Amino acid sequence: MRHGGRSGCAGVARRCRVTAAAGEAGVPGHGARSYAVPGFALRGAVCCLPERCVTNDAFIAGLGEKAVADVTAMTGVQARYWADAGQTAGDLCLVAACRLLARLDWPAHSIDALIFVSQTPDQRMPATACALHGRLGLPPHCQAFDVNLGCSGYVYGLWLAAAMLGAGCRRILMLAGDTSSRLIDPRDRGTALLFGDAGSASGLERCEDAAPAHFVLGTDGGGARHLAVPGGGFRTQPMEGGETLFMDGSEVFNFTMRAVPVLLRDTLEAASREVREVDAFVLHQANRFMLRHIGRKLGIPPERMPINIDRFGNTSSASIPLLLCTDLAPRIVGGPSRLLLAGFGVGLSWGAASLTLPPLACAETVAP
Amino acid sequence: MTSFHAGLADIFEIPVDQIGPGFRLTEKNWDSLAIISCVVLIDECFGMLPSGAELAACATVADLDALVSRAVAA
Repeated sequence: MRHGGRSGCAGVARRCRVTAAAGEAGVPGHGARSYAVPGFALRGAVCCLPERCVTNDAFIAGLGEKAVADVTAMTGVQARYWADAGQTAGDLCLVAACRLLARLDWPAHSIDALIFVSQTPDQRMPATACALHGRLGLPPHCQAFDVNLGCSGYVYGLWLAAAMLGAGCRRILMLAGDTSSRLIDPRDRGTALLFGDAGSASGLERCEDAAPAHFVLGTDGGGARHLAVPGGGFRTQPMEGGETLFMDGSEVFNFTMRAVPVLLRDTLEAASREVREVDAFVLHQANRFMLRHIGRKLGIPPERMPINIDRFGNTSSASIPLLLCTDLAPRIVGGPSRLLLAGFGVGLSWGAASLTLPPLACAETVAP
Repeated sequence: MTSFHAGLADIFEIPVDQIGPGFRLTEKNWDSLAIISCVVLIDECFGMLPSGAELAACATVADLDALVSRAVAA
């Protein structure tokens, strides 16, 4: 069988322009609001990949050659990097953050906020952001908190950072990363091959003359059960199980096909941009087959919708910055760029941002 | 339905003349990956997105044709 082979604060409220649109329930467009946020810039990004590269051959013994071939044809994943035992998303983000601060020449005392976006935190408490605050030697005035989102998390992190910069913060360190490999059941062919691990660090700064960014964000909590790790919280008792990732692939796929094209159109409309006016569509790397179909539906030339899931798998909250730091690095460091970022998935949650970026000081990957 | 049936043949990697109303999907590994491929095929051919559950309930190509016809008529 061939699969996939075809073809808050008052200050912020004053600064943000809000518009609304009508549409279908459960997807963007249903009263979708867009937010125009001026006055901030992304200065640089660094991603940290674990050293252990796992290729698809490693799954044949457990799943069989045909299953591995079928899943590979659909998802496009050929290899992924997995964290070693004891290595966490916080560890990966720490390495990325240290490099980023050095590359930007930002002293620790200049950071006003640290946001850590992840669904695989280092521990249940305290917030990984607080632990990282200490490990990075950030000053007492620096706020630090976690955001529990995955596939859409990077865009939500940007949105929060943008709003906080509008409220008076000057520099924000936004860390996004996951070690989803810790959640997968190796017997589940739907998820076993799909996910990779990575950490990222993005530096955002107040910049009065920056072009406004446009955000569209939303949620369909009715679909929360379709992509979930039900155990490990406080609804279930320890040892009741359910601590591996459950994914209803067809439901998540269907959600994505309904939500993402509308999300992209809503965001383009909010930014008054046409597809041809966007240098790169930076989409969460969920599934190659799905991404290609979305690109065809919107008439996006493949060269302006990079895909790197073949090399890294689905790295959840880190997939967008990883695309920025790999395939798009020469473009965004070499000159100004107009990007449309879109994250979508677990929640079910989605977010997109239309950005006009000055050349970044750095966009690179590092090893731990 | 011609291009739809051609697409189904492509998904199942069989000659298109084997795709008829009585073709039993369930005998050809009608699993989540095939269903996802079929969702995209139907979107490309008819501009509609059936749910995975609706497709999973189809046993034959005739069931798929009926599902698409009902949705297109609605």
